[in-house]
Amino acid sequence: MNTSTQNQPRHLFRAIATDIHFWIPVCVLVAGLVLLDKLS
Amino acid sequence: MSTTQTPIHATRLRSLQALGIFCGFAAGAWLGGAEAPIKLVNPDISPVTVSLITVCGVFLARWSVPAFIRGTSHVRNDVRQAPHLIVWAVLAGCMWAVANTLTIYAIRNVGLSIAFPLWNTNSLLGIFWGFLLFNELHYAGWKRWLGVIGGAVCMFAGATLLAIASSHEAAPGKAALGIFAALGAGILWGTMYIPYRKAYLTGMNPLSFITFFTVGELVTMTLLALGYRGANPLWHELTSARAVLFWLMLGGFVWVIGDLFQQYATKYVGISRGIPLSNTNQLWGLLWGILVFHELRGASQSVYVQVAGGSILMALGAVAIALSSATAREHSSWQDAADREGARYGVEGEYVRAGMEGREHASGSTRRTLIDWILILGTTALFVVLAAMAEFPRMEISLTWAIALSVAMFALLATCGIALWRTTKFR
Repeated sequence: MNTSTQNQPRHLFRAIATDIHFWIPVCVLVAGLVLLDKLS
Repeated sequence: MSTTQTPIHATRLRSLQALGIFCGFAAGAWLGGAEAPIKLVNPDISPVTVSLITVCGVFLARWSVPAFIRGTSHVRNDVRQAPHLIVWAVLAGCMWAVANTLTIYAIRNVGLSIAFPLWNTNSLLGIFWGFLLFNELHYAGWKRWLGVIGGAVCMFAGATLLAIASSHEAAPGKAALGIFAALGAGILWGTMYIPYRKAYLTGMNPLSFITFFTVGELVTMTLLALGYRGANPLWHELTSARAVLFWLMLGGFVWVIGDLFQQYATKYVGISRGIPLSNTNQLWGLLWGILVFHELRGASQSVYVQVAGGSILMALGAVAIALSSATAREHSSWQDAADREGARYGVEGEYVRAGMEGREHASGSTRRTLIDWILILGTTALFVVLAAMAEFPRMEISLTWAIALSVAMFALLATCGIALWRTTKFR
């Protein structure tokens, strides 16, 4: 159920930061930037 | 029991699965065709600048196409329901921008017909993430597992064959760089499907997702271009590239059409099936490369055999995966994943369920506003101006084949667009 508490920015950012799904793309993005730096 | 736990009606599930598969094939045609305008551009322009200009075209398309199809008012409704997806969309956009820049290095170093299949290994990663994180292929049965695993092995073998052929196509010492760039792009794109799946399990409309996605794309690409080129050299390069701005931005626009179909495929058949299907763009890329741009001309027969054999293997693998469509039981495990997302981020159950069933949520409003018309007319006017400034590159291409392939792409656009409208109203 959508509640005002859950839609507060602080709650949303905490939910994202504690979601392992979030950190997988972040790590891959950083690795991609490193590769791009080597190629440039 | 949550709202999303009531199973979707079998007939509706079948029609959504068929629609998702059709979208995957249409995505393949348009994603494949998107690389063609970029091939028309002088190789003296730096890859980062090429990517920045392409992303500008992408940005315009990602706002104007949704404005044209449904109006942007629905974006507000989606954000109200699932505001966290803004962060996910921007993150996915950042990944897209880096991957897109890597593909330009890949094309230059090993050629379009080689680079394409290599970065299309992203579908293998998509299957892995779909299974691991989103309950895809759970309760799928051994036949579907065989289809997916067999298809994955076929695709990997095809990619390997094409990588071997790249040593014939590329300049000495460049093949390894091109292969790394193409595989890097594949990993970035394969992982980018995590945010895609998060969004569509939660019920977001693809037309809303891409509007925030493109903010990540444009910001990342601008920072990369400024960082690698510097402000003054970048500006000088942009102004001196006036004659090719149209071709690069057209490439971005065409890509967005393909990506939109890919997003709908991801939404209705999941990443483990939708991504391999849209990766049939490899065959379209091969057709454009060989028929229109005369790539591989003068190469030995063994190179042709390797490229053709590798491409056929990859395409067969993709088809095998695509034919392993989701059963009702597997679909119910997707609903479990959707429930988990809804609970974590506080999304209304009815909104999630409406999204999974491809129907309108009660709060939906699709009226076009003045902003929508400004977006549509502004983008059209800009492309007309750029087309007037554009020069046709001095390179040997086959116009007959270019027209034939374009007609085929538009036929797919029309038929799939009508199917999407009839089945989901672009929901």
